[in-house]
Amino acid sequence: MAELTLMASPVLGGFDLKIGTNRLRERDDLAIVSVATPLGGDAALAAALQSAFLLDMPTPKMEARSDAMHAIRTAPDQLFLVFPHTASDAEPLVQSALAGAGYTTDQTDAWVVLEVSGPDTLTALERICPLDLHPDAFPDGASGRTLMEHLSVIILRLGPERFLLMSASSSAASFAHAVETSYRNVI
Amino acid sequence: MSQPNRIEGGQIDRSKSLKFQWNGRGLTGHPGDTLASALLANGVRLVGRSFKYHRPRGIFTAGSEEPNALITLGDCASREPNTRATTVELFDGLTATSQNHRGPLEWDLMAINDWLAPFLSTGFYYKTFMWPKAFWERLYEPLIRASAGLGSLSGEPDPDIYDHGFLHCDLLVIGAGPAGLMAALTAGRAGLRVIVADEDFRPGGRLNAETHEIAGQSGADWAAATIAELASHASVRLLPRTTVFGTYDHGQYGALERRADAPGKPRHVLWRIHARHSILAAGATERPIAFANNDRPGIMQAGAVRTYANRFGVAPGRRVAVFTNNDDDLRTANDLRAKGVEITGVFDARYGETVVDTSGRLGLRSLTTNAGKTIPADCLAVSGGWSPNVHLTCHQRGKPVWNEAIAAFVPGADLPPGMAVAGAANGTLTLAGALLEGAEKAAEIAANLGKPASPDIPAADDEPSETAPFWHVTEPRARAWVDLQNDVTTKDIRQSHAEGFRSVEHLKRYTTLGMATDQGKTSGVLGLAILAEISGKTIPETGTTIFRPPYTPVPIGAFAGRARGKHFRPTRLTPSHKWAEENGADFVESGAWLRAQWFKRPGEKGWRDSVDREVTMTRSSVGICDVSTLGKIDIQGRDAPEFLNRVYSNAFLKLAVGRVRYGLMLREDGFAYDDGTTARLSDSHFVMTTTTANAGLVFRELEFARQCLWPDLDVHLISTTDAWAQFSVAGPNSRALLSKVVDDLDLSNDGFPFMACAPCTVFGGARARLFRISFSGELAYEVAVPARYGDAMIRALMEAGEAFDVTPYGVEALGVMRIEKGHVTGAEINGQTTGEMLGLGTMVSQKKDAIGTRLSQRPEINTDAMRLVGLRPLNRSENLTAGAHFLRPEDPEDMAHDQGWMTSVAWSPELGHSIGLGFLKHGAERMGEHLRAFSPARGQDVLVEVCSPHHIDPEGVRQRG
Repeated sequence: MAELTLMASPVLGGFDLKIGTNRLRERDDLAIVSVATPLGGDAALAAALQSAFLLDMPTPKMEARSDAMHAIRTAPDQLFLVFPHTASDAEPLVQSALAGAGYTTDQTDAWVVLEVSGPDTLTALERICPLDLHPDAFPDGASGRTLMEHLSVIILRLGPERFLLMSASSSAASFAHAVETSYRNVI
Repeated sequence: MSQPNRIEGGQIDRSKSLKFQWNGRGLTGHPGDTLASALLANGVRLVGRSFKYHRPRGIFTAGSEEPNALITLGDCASREPNTRATTVELFDGLTATSQNHRGPLEWDLMAINDWLAPFLSTGFYYKTFMWPKAFWERLYEPLIRASAGLGSLSGEPDPDIYDHGFLHCDLLVIGAGPAGLMAALTAGRAGLRVIVADEDFRPGGRLNAETHEIAGQSGADWAAATIAELASHASVRLLPRTTVFGTYDHGQYGALERRADAPGKPRHVLWRIHARHSILAAGATERPIAFANNDRPGIMQAGAVRTYANRFGVAPGRRVAVFTNNDDDLRTANDLRAKGVEITGVFDARYGETVVDTSGRLGLRSLTTNAGKTIPADCLAVSGGWSPNVHLTCHQRGKPVWNEAIAAFVPGADLPPGMAVAGAANGTLTLAGALLEGAEKAAEIAANLGKPASPDIPAADDEPSETAPFWHVTEPRARAWVDLQNDVTTKDIRQSHAEGFRSVEHLKRYTTLGMATDQGKTSGVLGLAILAEISGKTIPETGTTIFRPPYTPVPIGAFAGRARGKHFRPTRLTPSHKWAEENGADFVESGAWLRAQWFKRPGEKGWRDSVDREVTMTRSSVGICDVSTLGKIDIQGRDAPEFLNRVYSNAFLKLAVGRVRYGLMLREDGFAYDDGTTARLSDSHFVMTTTTANAGLVFRELEFARQCLWPDLDVHLISTTDAWAQFSVAGPNSRALLSKVVDDLDLSNDGFPFMACAPCTVFGGARARLFRISFSGELAYEVAVPARYGDAMIRALMEAGEAFDVTPYGVEALGVMRIEKGHVTGAEINGQTTGEMLGLGTMVSQKKDAIGTRLSQRPEINTDAMRLVGLRPLNRSENLTAGAHFLRPEDPEDMAHDQGWMTSVAWSPELGHSIGLGFLKHGAERMGEHLRAFSPARGQDVLVEVCSPHHIDPEGVRQRG
């Protein structure tokens, strides 16, 4: 069946919305790979992250960043690597770079990633995000796991008015609606 | 001239007029007015009818404690009943109507209740509606329902929108009167993150209502200047029109913000405020004094009379009398005289001067004093002292304490964590005291947070505020109102006590004192003071009822927020959802998922046509079903095999790489929890599937086991449910179809046998996983691709399957095929069934210990040897019903003779008749027996024959072929 090939389609179809001077867009150019720390292998994984990606171990509240790669701590023994990569081979790439220092799972398709930015972003996020996003409490590079409109969300601050929001891909439409409604309700 | 009672002064904008409608009559007011002040300015005194006796009622207060002036705001679908006119900010085009009357407000037919008052004493309905029993539902309940309540909803969906939100701060200041503003100023200047919430649209509290001076300027000007400074601090957030209605655990406060109406924007925002500290500066509420006929329109709180005169430039009456037990009498008289209002009398109970009765049908005309004089008055300003607003200090079971000096309850020592109380709310009822206390409490909090403050306390005086405890005038014995909203009189309290309802909590339930929208804000202390007097106890011995959130009413719409209609909760969509929509799918909710239940084709008249066709085509050739909703859990780690061996009741240690095994999971108590398959991808890597419904529960249980039971195991879990688009490809032609799809994998029975699995690629290189598992009983596979390829995959599979006349099938056909095959699902694994019952007893290995194994061996867990069996109707044309119970044909229809029940039924296209699965006592030994399947709920009684649950292919030839 050489004539049939599979084309990837982003879960929100490349959602990209301007509301006022704010922008909400689907980041389908990012790959997500989870890395679990083998029992007793913390030091080895930290060393592997450093040598493979020049990444420190992220803390529960702050990401580690190296070039375009973000490392976000998601659980006591788990982190997510988020980086620009569109092919579906992100997991084997990370696995081979870490050389067995962590258990890796491809999470790219399990999540929808929204990048939200603009002057009304903090006011809009006040309507759905239970976390305190004041710069003193949640500075640039801060990350957290929370719930927004019943949906589990990972939030990462990229700048004063710029965030990545990651939520389950099956409920991506509901999530995008919730975020969009938050902007529309405050502008 | 309009607004006949408008007088000079006030914080209203006279340069603009606002038009509004009251009971269909056009009136005007000004920006800065409340609906109440605008009605009074227009000479409207009668605004409603009382709850029980339908007595004429007027505006009694100037704040959220209002018990009388409950009106319906707006019309059409968005109308809001039981709104307090005293809290509604006037806007152009406002419409409001009075409530709780039949016929015109002035001539309410239900006012006959007032004449019937001797028969309607407290608790009358407990005693009256007793007999005959036949009247309970048919007569009494409709009658009581028709009489109960005040305003009514439109019955239409609310067109307004509501929202929720989250705020965080170092210090939440509740109330922006003198104490609150001073606290906010002190904390704001020290650099704390401060939120100042005030229920009024004009912050300032009593500063706007009195003629006090602060630092040489009027209190209102000082408040405005302070607000302006607070607004200039980046770390201070002002929330006017926002009521903090509750204190909750962990420093959380509930607050309702009423926003100015803007089309398409939320009308109310319900905030959850997380505050490290709070200062309650909610002020105090003035109390009435009970005396005969003290409920006529025109009789008001003295403080409210001053508010209307000073803040709104409105004279509540042209001839005003004053009756108090405290120093507010002269202040009230002086403020009104200064505005040119005639004072017809001042009566101070401390000097033995009391008002004993009043007259005036629709509004006060005169009053009678204990000296026997009749005094003309169209307004009587009454003050029985002030009760601090301690409510929020009690929401975590704090108990207020009695302060004899001010004859009021003040906050006790057990405040919610992080809360301090300042100003009148703390019993500090004078201006200078409130300013000082607000500053001091804020400075203390700032110092605790490492940001020392140096409060700059402005000059102000402490006004006279002596109060004597004087609660009610005992003569004459005419009705004297304690609770205006619920029509509770001093006589009712006496009767409650006489009939044994002597605890303050019983008094509340028996008389309704302190219930409904005002929650006894004006009546509570007065009521229990009278109860104390009757029972010969002190007030602190009598105690208060327990204050609970919300402090003031919160619309249900605000609690609901956005959660309405299809956005009530999130929806999960499968990767093939869009394709399914395009291809006639009818969707069913499965948890949060929407799944295709069947695909309608042209000419099909009903769902059975579609489902029967899908089953037949799948069994005869090949069908495809999106099974992405099944839970998928990626399990990795050196100890993953051991972990699986402990969570599944059957053996998993020796599962080979490249193989899949069906597993049964038990709960700790030995009952079946979930079933599914687990595939071994490498020595340390497994993929578990769970049922759709239990995906979250199983993941949570596994995490619990991993983190808490066996932290010494190297095992790691992560959900991949959403990561993969997974399709079941089932039917005799499934292998032929997949051979066109899968790249470079030997799909022969030897190369890829039943229960094999392998990573692979499809359609020339796309990453995929292939499993040879079957839920339908046919030769079947499940093929998974990353979810981003899901839409492309279903389209490509359908195209590749054209040669085989492939059909998509939905969950109904899936269900029919699993019942034909005798597989169990949630209808059988319902939390009350064991492995033995399910016919999976051999899967509970006795050679190892796994969760639930021990307790599954309890003898009492498997009484009656209940077993899963198949059922078919003796008369093949009859249909079976799930939920039917089995009876021996000769037995009576009662539970004592119950033999079991039908769990699942389907019409089998292959067999051509209805089939069922069910649990039957000693089922394994009763093959061929005839029973009744009896369902009184559905009026069905069908003779059935017990058979194997495997209605088709019991040997499993097809799936292994």
